[in-house]
Amino acid sequence: MDKKNISPLYWSWIPAAFALAGIIVFIFATFGPPASSSGFVSTIKGAVQTVAPEYVENMTHYAMMPDTGSWLFAFVLGMAIGGFAAGRTGRIPVRDIPEIWEKRFGNSRIKRFAATFAGGFIILFASRLAGGCTLGLFISGSTQLAVSGLYFGVLIFAVAMVTARLVYGRTGKEE
Amino acid sequence: MGSEIWLGLFSGIAFGFVIQRVGATNADKMARAHLMMEGDIPKFMLMAVILSAIGLLGLETAGVANTRVLPTSLVATGVAGILFGIGWGFCGYCPGTTWAAAGEGRMDAVFALIGGLAGAAFFAHLHEFFIPLLYDPSNVGQITLADWTGSRPAAVVLLVFILGLCIGAIDFLWKEKNGGQTQ
Repeated sequence: MDKKNISPLYWSWIPAAFALAGIIVFIFATFGPPASSSGFVSTIKGAVQTVAPEYVENMTHYAMMPDTGSWLFAFVLGMAIGGFAAGRTGRIPVRDIPEIWEKRFGNSRIKRFAATFAGGFIILFASRLAGGCTLGLFISGSTQLAVSGLYFGVLIFAVAMVTARLVYGRTGKEE
Repeated sequence: MGSEIWLGLFSGIAFGFVIQRVGATNADKMARAHLMMEGDIPKFMLMAVILSAIGLLGLETAGVANTRVLPTSLVATGVAGILFGIGWGFCGYCPGTTWAAAGEGRMDAVFALIGGLAGAAFFAHLHEFFIPLLYDPSNVGQITLADWTGSRPAAVVLLVFILGLCIGAIDFLWKEKNGGQTQ
């Protein structure tokens, strides 16, 4: 894809922020603080309790979370459906390997998939330690004026910016 | 199965749709945001928080808000923030976007999702070890900006001011490289 055609494909940030904030406020009115890393725990709990119910009962982290029959699981499942619907009705190209990654590390699927597996492992480990992720801690927390959300937000943005520089080096500058 | 499931499903579909359309499920755009080449996604996130905070204040005034503030643990929240930043900068996905991007058909996001399930299971298994070690000792409680400003409306004004400054800084410092087709 010619990168000059990127901008018209996407919603611009101000109307999109109004749309997302409307959804977030709706969630605060009908459920509570929105979260997505909790949905991972609900997914595992639902799966593991069918084969090892006593393990799930004895672990604090599963005891404090609902299983798959919950808002939290329905929400992450809904996000996958929403992503599918938006992808099918829009023109944004879908790639298995992002352009910038391919320029830096080549087009090996194995390498990219191993990297995102590792990245996914780290972000969920970290989210469960903090009690939430970009949505459940930074966005939900900051919306509720929580210091935890703002503190987490400052760190994740700052560290991600440094990490991206280390990972991509000069790749981004050479366009 | 109650109305809660349907509300969650509906909310998730709407949420996933919007984050796909703004480009947050595209790890290329996320990397370019982290590299200070495209400011739209961070500006979108900050603006969404500003508007949500104002909306939530309205819900609280009307008495229909369901809030739950997570505590701040100086060590655990800090260590988690650093680890999360490493993972996010490295792969370009955060927990919520992996679901929407996987639904969109991005195979690398499917692996991020599977890795995420493994990471969450790993933490859950070691919860009894990590929480007393990292979380509890430096847990300073459910503190909010309102504890300093004295009132919630004043804290919302402060939050809007701080995040507004961040949006301005991103506008100023991020170098847009999209061939002059700025929005």
